[in-house]
Amino acid sequence: MSESTARRHGLEPFLASAESAAQARVEIRVVSNRGFLNLRLDQGDGAAVKDTTQVLGQPLPLASNTCTAGDHRVYWLGPDEWLIETGADRAARLVSELSEALARYHAALNDVSGGHVALCVSGIDARTVLAKGCTLDLHPREFGPGQCARTGLAKAVVVLAAIDDAPTCTVIVGRSFSDYLCRWLAHAARPHGVHFSMVRET
Amino acid sequence: MAVAQPNRLQEGGRIDRSRPLAFSFNGKACEGFAGDTLASALIANGESLVGRSFKLRRPRGIVGSGAEEPNAIMQVGEGAAAQPNLLATQVELHDGLVAHSTKGWPTVRFDIGAINDVFGRMLGAGFYYKTFMYPRSWWKLYERLIRASAGFGRAPGEPDPDTYEHMNAHCDVLVAGGGPAGLMAALAAARSGARVILADEQHEFGGSLLDCTDSIDGKPGAEWATGVVAELRNHTDCTLLPRSTVFGYHDYNFLTIAERCSSHAGIAHADAEDAPQGHGDGGAAAGRGSGEAVAERLWRVRARQVVLAQGSFERPLVFCNNDRPGVMQASAVSTYIKRYAVLPGRRAVVFTNNDSAYRTAIDLATAGAEVAAIVDSRPGGGGELAGQARDLGIPVLEGHVMTDVAGRHRVRGASIARWSGDSWASITPSIRIDCDLVAVSGGWSPAVHLHSQAGGRLAWDDSQLGFVPAQARQAHDSAGAGNGRRSLVECLADGVRAGTEAVSKLGLKPAAVEPPVVALVGENPIEALWRVPAAKDADRCPKQFIDFQNDTSVADIRLAVREGYRNVEHVKRYTALGFGTDQGKLANINGMAVLADILGKSIPEVGTTTFRPAYTPVSFGVGAGESVGPLYDPVRKTALHEWHEAAGAPMEVVGQWHRPWYFPRDGEDLHAAVARECLAVRNSVGAMDASTLGKIDARGPDVVEFLERIYTHNVGRMKAGRCAYGIMLGEDGMLMDDGVMARVGEQHFYLTTTTGGAANVLNWLERWLQTEWPELDVYLTSLTEHYSTIAVAGPNSRRLLESLGCGIPLDKESFPFMTVRPAVLAGMHVTLFRVSFSGELAFEINIDSNRALAMWQRVMEAGQAFDIAPYGTETMHVLRAEKGFIIVGQDTDGSVTPVDLGMNWLLSKEKDFLGKRSLRRPDCLREDRKQLVGLLSSDEQTVLPEGTQLIEETGQPTPVPMCGHVTSSYRSPCLGHPIALALVAGGRKRKGETVYAALPGREPLPVQIVAPTFYDPKGRRQHV
Repeated sequence: MSESTARRHGLEPFLASAESAAQARVEIRVVSNRGFLNLRLDQGDGAAVKDTTQVLGQPLPLASNTCTAGDHRVYWLGPDEWLIETGADRAARLVSELSEALARYHAALNDVSGGHVALCVSGIDARTVLAKGCTLDLHPREFGPGQCARTGLAKAVVVLAAIDDAPTCTVIVGRSFSDYLCRWLAHAARPHGVHFSMVRET
Repeated sequence: MAVAQPNRLQEGGRIDRSRPLAFSFNGKACEGFAGDTLASALIANGESLVGRSFKLRRPRGIVGSGAEEPNAIMQVGEGAAAQPNLLATQVELHDGLVAHSTKGWPTVRFDIGAINDVFGRMLGAGFYYKTFMYPRSWWKLYERLIRASAGFGRAPGEPDPDTYEHMNAHCDVLVAGGGPAGLMAALAAARSGARVILADEQHEFGGSLLDCTDSIDGKPGAEWATGVVAELRNHTDCTLLPRSTVFGYHDYNFLTIAERCSSHAGIAHADAEDAPQGHGDGGAAAGRGSGEAVAERLWRVRARQVVLAQGSFERPLVFCNNDRPGVMQASAVSTYIKRYAVLPGRRAVVFTNNDSAYRTAIDLATAGAEVAAIVDSRPGGGGELAGQARDLGIPVLEGHVMTDVAGRHRVRGASIARWSGDSWASITPSIRIDCDLVAVSGGWSPAVHLHSQAGGRLAWDDSQLGFVPAQARQAHDSAGAGNGRRSLVECLADGVRAGTEAVSKLGLKPAAVEPPVVALVGENPIEALWRVPAAKDADRCPKQFIDFQNDTSVADIRLAVREGYRNVEHVKRYTALGFGTDQGKLANINGMAVLADILGKSIPEVGTTTFRPAYTPVSFGVGAGESVGPLYDPVRKTALHEWHEAAGAPMEVVGQWHRPWYFPRDGEDLHAAVARECLAVRNSVGAMDASTLGKIDARGPDVVEFLERIYTHNVGRMKAGRCAYGIMLGEDGMLMDDGVMARVGEQHFYLTTTTGGAANVLNWLERWLQTEWPELDVYLTSLTEHYSTIAVAGPNSRRLLESLGCGIPLDKESFPFMTVRPAVLAGMHVTLFRVSFSGELAFEINIDSNRALAMWQRVMEAGQAFDIAPYGTETMHVLRAEKGFIIVGQDTDGSVTPVDLGMNWLLSKEKDFLGKRSLRRPDCLREDRKQLVGLLSSDEQTVLPEGTQLIEETGQPTPVPMCGHVTSSYRSPCLGHPIALALVAGGRKRKGETVYAALPGREPLPVQIVAPTFYDPKGRRQHV
């Protein structure tokens, strides 16, 4: 058995029985092939930030509650913490490259791929459904594309990011909470019509 | 139809006569129209008796037309979906609606409880405290009887089948109330580009405009309101919430709104027009009770500015028998006539102390009723409207008051007397008028509930005799009638002002909004008339009610004062004034005024009672929202969960985690399965999902210093690749958490915590790093979710791992006990720990959770050669207890030090650590502290229940002093007898002694104190 075929995100049982409305105003896709890195670094350490940016090929977001998109998606979680989302097959290489670049700094880079599940929530009622469980102001003016937050959704902690004006939002949730959160989303989105699926992102 | 609805007017009203609706009231078939409330339909059907009062069981009828209704409390619906405690005035009629009165047995017309009214004089305020005190031992019986007769309605016995949800919302301006002022405020805010939420408790916006006869900008009021709503709907950032009651104003401008989405419609037809954008109640056609549509929604709103425009309540007047069915608020009579086209009576007397009731007299006369008289307490009578009433031929008795009404189930007549102006001097009626309706107006009380909930102050306004909002405490303002504005002209203008000021405060440029043109009607001032005197004094005359719902009368308030109550809050509690759903809407001002009068104080001196949420009753369902059933608490699942489920393992809930408890084979019960699993681990090999352990990556130049301060052992002495059992203490010296920690590099550690402590420990460590020791360069990262942990334990565990193909040697010399190695196992990258929680040779495989299931399956496949047993939490507990390994939170309880546990060897003498100083407190040095010991049952049979108290000897008188308690207890399959861990006072020095286990229902059992390690005390098996 190869490592890649053995990979499971854990939502397979949920998806096997998830309902699908004929007219879905909310689309929820489980992105099956994402890798995640947690980076701790003092954002005042200019050299370390610069070297990280170089390896990533895209800026490390320094403004609070923002994310940058490029080869990877980098979410600001705090003044010294980021979550880097990348392709599952690229995570190991990125870990070694970043670890090497950061070796001479006080930094912590951890592969946390197994600990997170990425959901892509879109459709015209996406923000409404998320608002049922999230106390942040999700109005497009307040929480537009490029913004992210580590926050609560229902009774789970998530990283929530606005991706585009479709609207599309990414919800990254701790693995053990993902089944609960999907069940909550199914409940909250039911009156709007909801369709669950699994996708691979390239 | 006319026969079916005897009081329905032939034309007019905002009802849809093409949509007749059938409903039943107390089992009787009735008919109404779409657009009716239950109350208007009951009046249309001539149902004037709708309930019984709370205490005296007096017959009661509909008084009001909205949230202030005190009497028409209904049980609506049947079975699981029944809703108790609904006001008929707020229930929209729907086809098939089933309503019952909530008081009155056997029937509301013939109520045995009405005997209470006969003895009413004995049931004054406080009777409950005086009557039911003796004999004291009977209180339990009294309480049961009182509880059975108290309350309105019954909660259904079955689970609520409906669906509820919560919605978080943010806005610039929240407008509470969609009457004239609220509409103007919302319009001013929306036109200025603000994000607006406009909430109104009724199903259509307009409030008083829906039954007003004034024309606004040349249009009827209702039509003008429709135009405003249409414009608001076109503003994209304006959310319109009809059927939505703003019921709570909390701190930081946080407000709660209960929206009735489909609960108002039995077979729902949620009005798509009114549904807020994007909140389509799709599937609403499924209706209440089906569980499909959202029945009610709780809006949790953070508003930057709030405009409170809830209007005002018309007060009753206080005279004898003023609670008889047929005595109504004058304004409600007008509403029923004009909005619902029902005529509440044929021959009316209007009683007032202000001008507004003249409008009702005119409405009655216009609708074809006879108005026998307008009784106006003011010697000078009314203003412009009085002239119009006279023009219609209505007799006006100025300077007169109504002293009493006749009739029991329905008003039959009114007694009138000349008014002397003295509330307490006896007065003899000189006129008697036959009538079937009394329309009363005692003036208007602004609905200041939300303003008060927000912490706002109130000021007494002598010109209109009411409390009006004064200083605000949060970002709110009041507008319209709720702000003490009386005329429509003022209300509209005040709404514009409040909306404009709200957006100005937000830094937006206010759009120009002109208040519409309305004619001003000249009024004469109101006169104070708090109590109408009677022929006998207040204690002997027929009841003069102040609070209809709670049966509080003038005599009750006098009694409270006589018995020494002076403060309005005390009087409220003694008399129940303003309790219940009423929350002082009708009763408060009259009650305070009467109290002030009795005390000889002014009303502002007496002051008001506190207004609290909820403004109107809110269902439990909407409070719970989605958090019911499986969504009540998150279920956390490990990466191996589906395998455990497929294997048929029952789950044990540990925190929010669901962990496999045991893995039954061939119908085994818990004991059989655990015995087999234990023996498999002791004799061959077993595997357990230990993924729920907390895991923290800690690294940085100062990580050793940091961990030295946290853990009690010498962290710095650990070599890279070594593991250690570590404990951390609270500042009080008590054991907080434990776990294995590994040094994976010079400046890099991997910490594990208990399952339940994972999040708390990380917070605890971050708190010290961020707030106390910011100079330490350490980063912590939670890896709990990333790594799954598979414990492989038993003498064959090494051979099993070798058979999977392991990239590193696993022999004792290369990979000794308490070390950690990265490895490739079965072709997958893992971190292997040689640690043991069972006392056997064991390995813990840490692997990326994405691959954990594959690894587990490989372990199980390869384990078949060794007859491997997957084992659950119960076997884990037995195995660790046999070894005397503690579980934090089970064998400890926050009052246990490591010394109590015999862990002195873990406490470094060479360094300081959190909690160390506390261990030197005299109490921590006591020799007789409870200490961890083992216990053996003398009969070698009894498994002591965990929590069992231990006593020194039998036969002592109660209360028997206790010397300890059992913390863990199991039958040990490999030892063949029960074992237990216990905390016993001074226990460590008492080995070999016998104490007694106090067992329920049997003789205390002698138990022997032993060392807490039952199996392999030298620990040889884990070192092989």
